[in-house]
Amino acid sequence: MSSAVKSDTPAGAPRTSAAATAACNPDSDESLLVAVGNHQDRAAFNLLFTRFSNRIYAMGMKLTRNEQLSHDLVQEAMLTVWQKAPLYDLDRGTAQSWIFTLTRNRCFDILRKMKRQPATVSADDIWPQEGDGDSQLVHEEEGTMEVEVSKIESFYGGLPAAQRAVIEQIYIHDRTHEEAAAVLDIPLGTLKSRLRLGVGKLRQMVGTE
Amino acid sequence: MTSEAKFHPTAEQLGGFARGTLTAGMDVVISAHVELCADCRSRIGSLEAEAAAEMLQAVPETRPVNKDFSSMIDSIVNHAQTQADEQTSDPVTEIHMLEHSVRLPKVLAKVASEGLVWKKLAGGINQASVTLDDQTQCEFLYMKPGSQVPVHKHQGSEVTLVLDGSFSDESGHYKQSDFVVRTANDMHQPASEEGCLCFAVLDSPLTFTKGLARLLNPLIRYRFRRATAAASH
Ligand SMILES: [Zn+2]
Repeated sequence: MSSAVKSDTPAGAPRTSAAATAACNPDSDESLLVAVGNHQDRAAFNLLFTRFSNRIYAMGMKLTRNEQLSHDLVQEAMLTVWQKAPLYDLDRGTAQSWIFTLTRNRCFDILRKMKRQPATVSADDIWPQEGDGDSQLVHEEEGTMEVEVSKIESFYGGLPAAQRAVIEQIYIHDRTHEEAAAVLDIPLGTLKSRLRLGVGKLRQMVGTE
Repeated sequence: MTSEAKFHPTAEQLGGFARGTLTAGMDVVISAHVELCADCRSRIGSLEAEAAAEMLQAVPETRPVNKDFSSMIDSIVNHAQTQADEQTSDPVTEIHMLEHSVRLPKVLAKVASEGLVWKKLAGGINQASVTLDDQTQCEFLYMKPGSQVPVHKHQGSEVTLVLDGSFSDESGHYKQSDFVVRTANDMHQPASEEGCLCFAVLDSPLTFTKGLARLLNPLIRYRFRRATAAASH
């Protein structure tokens, strides 16, 4: 890749090394969730747990009116937060919204199990997570990007800064998705969706050249 | 699967879908419409944000973290995190109707993958019931070209999602991805010229109101009871 693209880098784009971890803002749920997703940060998870466990319990009581089920819901929802934090996409909504949707989904499954209803459908069938099935798409697009990169340099500057920063990390600094997400201090889910959007836009511009 | 829907779930139905307070049957039919309808899909995000604010309202700060919860954290953080590239297997996405196959929204493909048993009803209608919960009756309905459902009245509400083809009644013409809502005491007589595959969710049995079709009523009630009894066995 040429230096012409490099000089086009937005001034605000992070230039830290992949090993560096950005300081986590404990007042921001989103920032805590990114720390959990990118670095398995247990202190950040403790804070999220403190902030959300009682609220999830209260939501469980509203939906199930059952103390044991609500307790189980806290366990299952916070386990999902821990396990799926890398999939959170901050371009799609707040941490609260994301935690709400996964709590709603776990609650649906818990209630069905309790009522012994047919297991035909689960919450994940009803409320599909955006991005669940599209990682394949990203890889596929990456393969063809290598070939077309010389053609797209002139269009590169037309991308929004956030998408340019992601493309720069992957294609210029040749970082893995995980490394790039850590450098930019964004969730892996957000990195993938910005990469998909940015690459899609570049292809469109090349196509309408 | 790109036709634009003209008929959509009500604001109340979409809100309930976002909050997770509806029956599984209603969730499934709304989910299938949302997959087919960009308009409704774009509204779900903000409805979920509203629901999040309402359902996860901050509990008064004075309340300490439940002491059972502290032991929970340790057991949670010992689990591995998800690989973002995790792939799920592809489910069945097509349903083979009498003369052609129809691509189904994902959630309905999942429902249909359990296997459908088709029964012939009067008037050129084929029906395959599925049991999703103990409060609704859910079914795929296939109306042959030129078929007509007997006039009927609803005691509860009925939602019909058009998956392929089209049908008409006194109030309109409904095409693929249209979400048709009929509430208690609406009377209607759907008919399909070109044939139609639908998914319908009823929250109480139909009552036929005209002619010989009234004889069907006990049967319809029986079928409804049996379907819901199967859910709670
Ligand atoms: Zn719609």
